[in-house]
Amino acid sequence: MKIEFILNEEAKMIEVNPARRLLDILRDDFGLSSVKEGCGEGECGACVVLMDGKAINSCLVPAGNIYGHHIVTLEAFKKTKRYRVIEDAFAEAGSVQCGFCTPGFVMATESLLNENPHPSDAEIKDGLSGNLCRCTGYNMIVKGVKLAAERGEGLW
Amino acid sequence: MKESISKPIKRVDASAKISGEAKYISDLRFENQLFARTVRSTRVKARIVSIRLPEFPAGYFFVNKDDIPGVNRMRTVVSDHPIFAEDEVSYIGQPILLIVGPEREKVFELTTQIKIEYEEEAAVFSLAEAEKRNTVFTQYGYSKGDPEKAFVEAASIIEDEYSTGLQEHVYLEPQGMAAEYKDDTMYIYGSLQCPFYVEGAMKEVLGWEAKRIRVIQAVTGGAFGGKEEFPSLTACQVAVAALKTRHPVMMIYDRDEDIICSTKRHPSIVRFKAGLDQANNVIALDIDVLYDAGAYTGLSPVVLQRGIFSATGVYNFPHLKVRGRNFMTNTVPSGAYRGFGAPQTIFGTEMLMHNIAVKLGIDPQDYKMRHMLKRGDPTCTGGQIRDEVKLPEIIRKVNEMSAYREKVKAGKKYRGVGLSLFLHGCGFTGNGEQMIRGKIVLRKKDDHVTLIVSSVEMGQGAETVLRKIVAHTLDISIERVICENIDTGLIPDSGPTVASRTTMIVGGLLQQAALELKDRWNETGEIEITRIYSHPDYLRWDNETFHGDAYPTYSWGANVAEVEIDPVTYEIDVKKISAVYDVGVPIDEQTLRGQMQGGLAQGIGWATIEVMNTDKGRLIQHNLTDYKVPTAMDIPEIECEFIENPYEFGPFGAKCAGELPFVGAGPAIAAAVSNALSVPIRKLPITPEYLMEIDNHEN
Amino acid sequence: MVDGFRPRTLQEALKIRLQHDCLPIAGGTDLMVQKARGFGLKPGFEQPLLFIGHLEELQGIYVDDGKLRIGTGVLLSDLLKSAQVPKIFRDAVALMASPPSRNLASIGGNLCNASPAGDTLPFLYAVDAELVLKSFTTKRIVPIREFITGPKTTDLKTNELLTEIIISNKTFDVNYYKKVGQRKGMSLTKASFLGLANIEHDNVTDIRIAFGSVAPTIVRSRETEKKIIGESVKQALKILPEISSDYAKLIRPIDDARSSAAYRKRVSLNLLNTFLKSLALNN
Repeated sequence: MKIEFILNEEAKMIEVNPARRLLDILRDDFGLSSVKEGCGEGECGACVVLMDGKAINSCLVPAGNIYGHHIVTLEAFKKTKRYRVIEDAFAEAGSVQCGFCTPGFVMATESLLNENPHPSDAEIKDGLSGNLCRCTGYNMIVKGVKLAAERGEGLW
Repeated sequence: MKESISKPIKRVDASAKISGEAKYISDLRFENQLFARTVRSTRVKARIVSIRLPEFPAGYFFVNKDDIPGVNRMRTVVSDHPIFAEDEVSYIGQPILLIVGPEREKVFELTTQIKIEYEEEAAVFSLAEAEKRNTVFTQYGYSKGDPEKAFVEAASIIEDEYSTGLQEHVYLEPQGMAAEYKDDTMYIYGSLQCPFYVEGAMKEVLGWEAKRIRVIQAVTGGAFGGKEEFPSLTACQVAVAALKTRHPVMMIYDRDEDIICSTKRHPSIVRFKAGLDQANNVIALDIDVLYDAGAYTGLSPVVLQRGIFSATGVYNFPHLKVRGRNFMTNTVPSGAYRGFGAPQTIFGTEMLMHNIAVKLGIDPQDYKMRHMLKRGDPTCTGGQIRDEVKLPEIIRKVNEMSAYREKVKAGKKYRGVGLSLFLHGCGFTGNGEQMIRGKIVLRKKDDHVTLIVSSVEMGQGAETVLRKIVAHTLDISIERVICENIDTGLIPDSGPTVASRTTMIVGGLLQQAALELKDRWNETGEIEITRIYSHPDYLRWDNETFHGDAYPTYSWGANVAEVEIDPVTYEIDVKKISAVYDVGVPIDEQTLRGQMQGGLAQGIGWATIEVMNTDKGRLIQHNLTDYKVPTAMDIPEIECEFIENPYEFGPFGAKCAGELPFVGAGPAIAAAVSNALSVPIRKLPITPEYLMEIDNHEN
Repeated sequence: MVDGFRPRTLQEALKIRLQHDCLPIAGGTDLMVQKARGFGLKPGFEQPLLFIGHLEELQGIYVDDGKLRIGTGVLLSDLLKSAQVPKIFRDAVALMASPPSRNLASIGGNLCNASPAGDTLPFLYAVDAELVLKSFTTKRIVPIREFITGPKTTDLKTNELLTEIIISNKTFDVNYYKKVGQRKGMSLTKASFLGLANIEHDNVTDIRIAFGSVAPTIVRSRETEKKIIGESVKQALKILPEISSDYAKLIRPIDDARSSAAYRKRVSLNLLNTFLKSLALNN
């Protein structure tokens, strides 16, 4: 099936089996390795990217469903001002250890702050409940998001 | 640099990881690489009668035991696990062969077309059954004082039994390994903790010398012990495949595959018989430790050792009889996991002390404090506590943070607090460090200093911490200190990244080398300084009788958990964890705090929601839909403080830290639940189903 | 063989459905997991996929003729944002899956998956939702309890698509929902309970009770509810043991990877108890 979509601000046209996962199209066809496979069943959030500005599990999206949508991965997002704020906040708050879950958390954070620029701790935890981390125990990730929201006043 | 070394700095790997630029093994691509998939046993215990393979298109191969040039065994403490199954299989998921080829989809298709005929044999499914059938892999024991006499003279005897379940690491990055055979050398790239373990395993499987083997660590996405010995198996498999096919071979596990077949925390049953004197103090303890090692023994003997050497927790019991046994069951082999046997026995001991106290009508904290170790006391194996034990101060602090004293008496049904006291022996058990003789090299070239060690960064912050130790000692900025790549062709063997030894042992050697370098700083040309570990000779250990100093020193901790139980559903809400630790001196307080919070979170999971059971050898929870680890919503505020207690032989006074925080969570939560419902808790995980069973009150 | 169809309109989709053996897929959050095969692999679908999530005709949440109509393609995350959707239903949806999954999952998918643990189901059963099923030439409206015939089985014909959900606009004074999951974060339901009631001058004028995850399909008993309707709240509490005993016979949970039958049963009856007792407080 021929599928037209926008990937990291560029128009793309691919011809693929429409059952293929967006995750594999991003990683294998476009070399976007920031997107990780942690479970393949929509449970861990390591594969989270943005579709039309909202966090989605790319392991659950068949290619046939990306037609006409805007997909953004960390490779593009890291060039934005918002990203800079998140990166500094995460580094300062100790939000990263092994880093495998981190790209998913960054994209989920962007999706969360897009919708709710000043989330409470409970809202942050709920907003990030689709992303697993086994290293940090989450406290420092929540702090990092909080810090990003404070510092990024006006950006979201 | 006048600042305290504990002051946090930005992790050296933060930017690469946050930006998604860090490349893990599955992000690497080798030219002409082939993908590998493992064909595994679907039976619990069986003889393999026949294997029928489909037609293989050109470029597709199978790799099995017949392709192994050397020994078909995974080298570890006991090398009993075959790299590829021979005539029999002993657990569901045991690897039999690899299918390797250029297209993943075709490789998968071929695996589904393989027909294996089995002849099933009787199997052992559980620890209880294993005990009845006496399928003992390993048995150890030690004693102290005169327990037989002490029990005869005891004023009262209390007996109890505790159990804990399987736990899976769920490192976010699944197991992954790649091999490339070129220039007569086998290159291994992978997600791993112990490059030299892998090298050693490959030497035996290939029958080659070390100089033809290069093990290179890829950025590793979490490990927690799950990538300690297990990667030796996958590395050997892909190496043999690369040798056979003359192509690079890449193998990444599916998550459910990883859950089903990779090593787990040993399930346990720990039985106690306590002899109390007239004053109701425990003076004699008989501890019987039973671990389920799964189908192969692997490194279980060392797990059992740490388990039995930690079995008395933070207490000084004058008379002891301790027995430990690893049992064979036809389930996935158990292996290394943060805490390494100690969490199971310490859970038992903490609950024993807690339950005795409650029975006697004494606050568990007060009762436990009566028995605590002090400096100068003998350890359970007849060594000595040489350093100051700061438990009284730790307890005072944790009480302050948690308001334990007020809350424990509050008597509100369904709300409770609980305390755990615990320790962790620093570094390898017994003469482990002596046997490894870890080596480090420090090199100065121009104005840069390179650390050449085999300690890996796997998220715990080792690279940051080790570079910081050197930078502070030399009084230079950390930007001028770099780490050599983890490549066995370039680095000495400083020992594996396990046993909470990296900061204390490897960091200690680096500090010594840095001190020498500081003196020699102005020498011209390149300077290279080597240090090899030497065991302090005041430490004595007899590995036959298990007598002496099992560890050079200990780190200590106290946790207070506060819980609320839903009376309608029995769900446990962990409201807060207060934690105080003595790890000597923090090398980086934020990195350290990250380890404490992470360890606590895994402990909370182990204690409450991580349910993993088997049914006739089959794992019931085998994917992340059914095996639940904590999300952000499941982890409460964790308040964590450190008591400084510099250790003379640790870099800047540091001791061990990585595993300690896991140990305290389970017993603290169990004590809190016990306080909330006024029932003894005897097993982990404490599920709502379990609570409903044991709660006496009717709604 | 065609590997997938991406129709532009509902009619086109229905025509394809009529003429081809195909698998309708909206968000894919259930199907992509069911057919997942492993790292880097595409899912193992045995039929060509019929993509319907993008169809305009399956979108929309609006009130018409006193009833609330929800297109089956509506995403769970969009349901959460609509003030027209009863709050108790939004509360149930908010506990489903996780934010990224809710941004993909359709309400129609949850219905057609028909899991005994489907979290949109207790509410839809409680309010006697009706479902619109269309084929290229036909349209029928089926009550939800006739649409779901067993665990993961529905009355959807191979030429049909589920297009719309119709719910009466009736509101309730008492709205109680509890989901017992495997943990606080995203999880499947071990047992769930939904209770709705109207109380006027101390009389229970209407009551709806639904249990999730404790039987092959959602447990609802109009017969038992009628024992309470028309009674005073005080009387309703008096006959609580009888009501509980009625439901105890209908609840048939199983032991599985997530929980035990004994726990599920006891918790369900505990929740029923809690709900009925709360009627006195709401009075």
